[in-house]
Amino acid sequence: MIKRKILIILENKPGALARVVGLFHQRGYNIESLHVDAVEDTGPYKYLEDELNIELKPNEVSKMTITTTVNDNLLTQILRQINKLIDVLIANEEN
Amino acid sequence: MLMQALHKEGVELIFGYPGGAALHVYDALFRQQDIEHILVRHEQGATHAADGYARSTGKPGVVLVTSGPGATNAVTGIATAFMDSIPMVVLSCQVASHLIGTDAFQETDMIGISRPIVKHSFTIEDQKDIPRIIKEAFHIAMTGRQGPVVIDIPKDMTAPDKLFDFAYPDEVNIRSYNPPVEPNDSQVQRAVNAILSAKKPVLYAGGGAISSNASNELWELNEILKAPVTNTLMGLGVYPASDKYFLGMLGMHGTYQANMAMHNSDLIIAIGARFDDRITNTPSLFAPNAKIIHLDIDYSSVSKIIEANIALFGEVKNSLRKIISLLKENLDQYDSDELIPWHKQIQDWKDLHGLNHDLYTDNSDNNMILPQSVVQHVYHQTNGNAYVTSDVGQHQMFAAQYYHFDEPRKWINSGSMGTMGFGLPAAMGVKLAHPDSEVVCITGEGSIQMCIQELSTCLQYNLPIKIININNEALGMVKQWQDMNYGGRHSESTYQNSLPDFVELSKSYGHEGIKIEKNSDLESGLAKAFAQKDKLVFVDIYVDPSEHVYPMLVAPNGSLKDIWLGKDKKA
Repeated sequence: MIKRKILIILENKPGALARVVGLFHQRGYNIESLHVDAVEDTGPYKYLEDELNIELKPNEVSKMTITTTVNDNLLTQILRQINKLIDVLIANEEN
Repeated sequence: MLMQALHKEGVELIFGYPGGAALHVYDALFRQQDIEHILVRHEQGATHAADGYARSTGKPGVVLVTSGPGATNAVTGIATAFMDSIPMVVLSCQVASHLIGTDAFQETDMIGISRPIVKHSFTIEDQKDIPRIIKEAFHIAMTGRQGPVVIDIPKDMTAPDKLFDFAYPDEVNIRSYNPPVEPNDSQVQRAVNAILSAKKPVLYAGGGAISSNASNELWELNEILKAPVTNTLMGLGVYPASDKYFLGMLGMHGTYQANMAMHNSDLIIAIGARFDDRITNTPSLFAPNAKIIHLDIDYSSVSKIIEANIALFGEVKNSLRKIISLLKENLDQYDSDELIPWHKQIQDWKDLHGLNHDLYTDNSDNNMILPQSVVQHVYHQTNGNAYVTSDVGQHQMFAAQYYHFDEPRKWINSGSMGTMGFGLPAAMGVKLAHPDSEVVCITGEGSIQMCIQELSTCLQYNLPIKIININNEALGMVKQWQDMNYGGRHSESTYQNSLPDFVELSKSYGHEGIKIEKNSDLESGLAKAFAQKDKLVFVDIYVDPSEHVYPMLVAPNGSLKDIWLGKDKKA
């Protein structure tokens, strides 16, 4: 069990944050720290624009970082569950 | 605008119940002809009826409820649909926008309450968004792993005084939602290689194969493989039960041969099934020598409980097609005769401890009626063609074990959620979708009382369902567990002679009722019920209350080969 940092890019919409936070509770995972900001400078997310074939405008999406302590298998499961949320564009482990 | 959007979406039926916040919508409903509304007697009934409609047709069920208690009453049905991945759109009316957050009359945070049990939810914040949100809601409910979607509609969003030009979008584009469609070719290749070298394969198909309408592909695959097939409780009917390669249901109350085959196999091909706890028993003891190929549309279902060696993400139907076409190119490397020893082994298991499907031939009054025998009679009298809904408990397991489903979407039950009260309203949804088909609700005296008010709805819309009430005067499955694990202490699982006279009750709702207490009356009593084509008949059948459901996996800490076969008999 080691501390992991999860990076989530999600739509900046009412309720989107609650879906992610709620998921952690529903599935029995713990959040140790949480940080959310609207993304003003979309520059660093060019890779995401290319991958999903979309164009991001300032403040349209939020960047969320969550730290949690889990093993590899559970991390995969958590990421898959987060990625399943409709408002989430992508969730990955941040290296 | 809402009604037009629903009509554009192809909605024919809505199940609902009006109230203050929904009045604008109900007025719009009144002033149109395209969509029929079914007035239930409780919002839970609306959700289950929409669910039954969806399961039996493959089309999304639509529910309309008012705010506050209307919305919260719908919660159990939404959770039921969510747990079984059933497409449903719930239009949940809300107090007017300016009242939200003020603890207004009949205000509740439906988006918050339903969040963990929906695939997605929307709040309408601008009337102009209604067509787009309806389009997106149906798209989300029907694609990927299907599920319920809630739309919260504040009253002012449906006010008739504001008019807009109606434009329904042709397509949906949700940039953050891209469920997998086609599996990865290299995984298909690996899957076929594993299939070609397997000596003891088992096909294990679940509800996802039904959602994906993949029964033809499954059949086609097994025309080549000639491998044993088992279905989960949710998958019954996706492979024909009367086929010689069918093992019956697997899992907690699955057949001996199905569970033994899984435990001893060298290759499990999971097709739209998710290895839940009622299937695997103790995961660390599950099928120790089996390689796992997992076909699923949901990334998070794969390797959640049981690690998959090969994963095919995509529509199950498409994944099966790809496997079939690659197999066909390599037919020279496959000889189904190599499975003969495996089939022989399975037949031996079946001969040893298989289910007895001829209990119905005993009509002697020396014995009480067996619940298993009731299901067998129903099966024979409906020629195996009926849509069968069930509630939850012993009767549900007996129905799953003894009614042989040859087609998908005919067995309608609350599998994952295990919702008592599901059977009757679900049967209404099925009957409305299939008015010319026989629809039977196999229930128990506990479950049926949880939504019995819907008998009134059945009269209003003339729904001649046949209710088979397997009456053991107790909460049978609870009692069975109390017998097995709690020293026979029947804590709150009996009613102390307080059951209603179901025949009179049914008659007071304007239907027919038949009471059967003797084995010798069972066949004729059921025949009389099924002969009344235009009437709902409530058949109240008193069965042996001491009967348990077997086989039953030994839990906790058991594997699939640790099985109770009777009260004092373990495999």
